[in-house]
Amino acid sequence: MNHHDHTPRLLAPAARVAGLPRRTFLAGLAAAASVPLLAACGGSKGSGGSGSAAAELRAYSWSAYDDPKVLADFAAKYGPKVLVDSYSSNEEMIAKLAAAKGTSGYDIVIPTGVFVPQMAANGLLQELDHAKLPNLANLDKAFQNQEWDQGNKYTVTKYWGTTGFVYDTRVVKRDLKTWDDFFDAAQKEASGKTSLVDDPGEICAMLCFARGWHQSTTDKAQLDQIETFLVDTLARHIAAFDSSPGSSAIPQGTHALMHCWNGDARRGILASGDQDRWKWVLPGPKTNLWMDNWAIVKGSANADAAHELINYVLDPAVAVKQVDFVGYGSGVTGSEEEAKKLKLGLIDMIFPSAEQLTTMYTGVINEGQERRMAIVNRMKAKAGA
Amino acid sequence: MSSDRRGPRAAWRAAPSGLLTTPALAWIALFFVAPVGLVFWYSLGRKPGLYQTHANDVLTLDRYREALGDTFLTSFAGTLRIGLAGTALCLAIGLPFAYWLAVKVRPHRRFVVLALVLVPFWTNFLIRTIGWQVVLSPEGFASHAMQSLGLIDTPFSMLFTRGAVLLGVVYNYLPMMILPLYVALDRVDGSLREASKDLGANRWRTALQVTLPLARPGIAAGLLLVFIPLMGDYVTAAVLGGARGNMVGQLVASQFQQAQNWALGSAMAVVLIVVIALTILATAAAGAACTWLLTHRRRRELAGIAEGSPA
Repeated sequence: MNHHDHTPRLLAPAARVAGLPRRTFLAGLAAAASVPLLAACGGSKGSGGSGSAAAELRAYSWSAYDDPKVLADFAAKYGPKVLVDSYSSNEEMIAKLAAAKGTSGYDIVIPTGVFVPQMAANGLLQELDHAKLPNLANLDKAFQNQEWDQGNKYTVTKYWGTTGFVYDTRVVKRDLKTWDDFFDAAQKEASGKTSLVDDPGEICAMLCFARGWHQSTTDKAQLDQIETFLVDTLARHIAAFDSSPGSSAIPQGTHALMHCWNGDARRGILASGDQDRWKWVLPGPKTNLWMDNWAIVKGSANADAAHELINYVLDPAVAVKQVDFVGYGSGVTGSEEEAKKLKLGLIDMIFPSAEQLTTMYTGVINEGQERRMAIVNRMKAKAGA
Repeated sequence: MSSDRRGPRAAWRAAPSGLLTTPALAWIALFFVAPVGLVFWYSLGRKPGLYQTHANDVLTLDRYREALGDTFLTSFAGTLRIGLAGTALCLAIGLPFAYWLAVKVRPHRRFVVLALVLVPFWTNFLIRTIGWQVVLSPEGFASHAMQSLGLIDTPFSMLFTRGAVLLGVVYNYLPMMILPLYVALDRVDGSLREASKDLGANRWRTALQVTLPLARPGIAAGLLLVFIPLMGDYVTAAVLGGARGNMVGQLVASQFQQAQNWALGSAMAVVLIVVIALTILATAAAGAACTWLLTHRRRRELAGIAEGSPA
C-alpha cells in the first residue's frame, strides 16, 4: 500500500514550460487566425494589483458554487461585479491556466486541495497577502494548514464535502448502508435505474472504499479487479453518468439509486416534491473527503478586489448563506451553529457527525489517473452496448 | 493600358479565375485543412506526463493502436447503430412529408408549412433536447397525463432508453432531411409525372421510376446532412439516453477534456473521420450498384418489349 506515497509531477517543471508543445498549438493557431485577433485576446492582461477600484472580478469556478445574492451583495458593498465562468474538472481549469500563461483574464479559481501544490510550483497561483484577509481567523483550525498548502500560502478553504448516494425508498425498500449495499441494490431493485457521478476517480474509488484499498490505488492487480467489476458486473445496470442528479434527476424522479456528492444530493432532495421519498447515505466502511479552495490566479489584475471577496465570504453571516445555497460545509467557525440556529433544511447532509468524519479521507493525484479514465471509458462503452 | 481599352468589366473578366476562388480556398485552408492537419499531427505524438496534453518529440503510431481498442470499437458500433437507425427513420418520415409538401400542398400554403418545419430551429437544440428530458421523465408531463387518463398505473420511464435516443435524434435532425428533399422534389417537373401516367404507369411506378430517381440528389444530400453530424453528435444521445446513449464522440471529448490526452483524442478523431468517410463511400457504392441493377434490368425489359412489339 505504499503506492500513494510518492507525489507525482502534475505539470511540467517551470523550466520546461517554455518548451511545451502547447506552443506548437498556439503557433498553429497564430498561423490560422490573424495575429491581431490573438493580441486582442490577451488584452485583458493587466499590470497586476491595480487596487480595489476594479469594475469586475472574473472567477473561474465549479458551476453553481456561489449564492448569486452573496455576489450581488458584495458588488453593492465593494463595487466589483463578479463574473463567473465554470469548469467541470480540475484538469480542464489547469490546462486553461497553463496554456494562457498568466493571460487568462481570470482573477480567482477554485482548485481542489490535492491539485494545489503542483499549480503553485508551476506559477499558476499568486501568494495570498494575509494582511488583507483579517477574516482568515474565522476559518476553523481543522481547515487551515492542510498538507497540500502549509500556512495557507496560496489557498483558503471554500467548501468541503463528501461522496455518497441517494435512493428512492419506493423502489429500494430496505436499508442501504455500505458501498456493497449500493452495488447489490444496483444489480437488483435499481437495475437500469442507477446513475453514477461522471468522474473516473469517484467511480473507481467505490470498489476501493468497499474493499479497503486506497481510493487512489496504483496497484495493477487492484485496478484490474476494479476494471472487471465495473465493466463486466456493474456497467449493464447503469442508466446514466450524471454528475449532478440533484439538478434534475432527483426532483424528476428519473433514477432510483444515485451516486452523488452531499451538497448536490441535498439540493435535489430539497427541490423534490416529496422529500421523504429520498434517502441519503454516507456509505461505509470508508468514503471520500475533498476540499475546494479559493485561490488567486498569478497575473490577476484585480488581486486586491479578489482578496476583498475572499475576506468577505469568510464572514460567518455570509458563509452561512453560501452553505445554504450549495449544501457543502464552509469550514468557517460557527457556521454550523449559525446554520442550526437558522434551521437550514437537511442540515445533517451538510455537516456529517464526528463519527462519520472518521470514515472519510482524501485521494491523491497519481499516475493511476490514465488507467482509471480508460476503465471508465470501457465501462461506458459496455453500458451503451 | 490594354485594360483601359477593354473597360473595367472586361478587366474583371480577365482577372485570373483563381482570384475569385481565393475566399473559398482561404476559408477551407483556415477552418478545415489547418485544424484537421493539426489534429493529425497531434495524433502521431504522445502524452508525456500527467498534466501535459501532448508532445511530438517522438513520432509514433502507438496512439492508433490504443484508439482501435475494444472501447473504441464497442462505442463506435453503438454510434453507428444510432446513426443508421436515426438516418433511416428521418428518411422514412421526411420523404413522404417532403413529397406531400412539394406536390400536394397548394403553392401559396407551402411557405406556411415550411415555416412550421423551421420554427423549432429558432430555439437552441440543447434546450429543446432537455425539454424532451422533462417531458419523458417519470414525474414528467407525459407520464402524468397518461396516468390521469388511466392508460398506465405506474409512472412510465422512457427516458434513458434507446427509444428516447431515437426520438431525440429524429426530432433534432428531421428538418435537415426534409429541406433538401423538398427542394429536389419541387424541381421535378410535374409534366413528367403526367407523361408517365399517360404512358400507363400507375402511381407507384411513377413514384419509383420517375419521381424518386429525379430526386436522387436531394435524397443523397439529406442522408449526408443527417448522418454526418449525427455520427459526431453526442449531446442529444447523452441527454436522452444516459448510459444507453454512449456515443464515440463522448470518448473523443473525454480524452481532450478529462484525460487531457490530446494525442490519443486526436488519433481517435482521425480514426472516426476515416471510418465515417468509408461508411459513406460504402453506402454510395451500394446505392450506385442498386441503381445500376435496376436500370440494367429495366433496359433489358424495355429491349424485350421493343423486340416483341412488331410481332
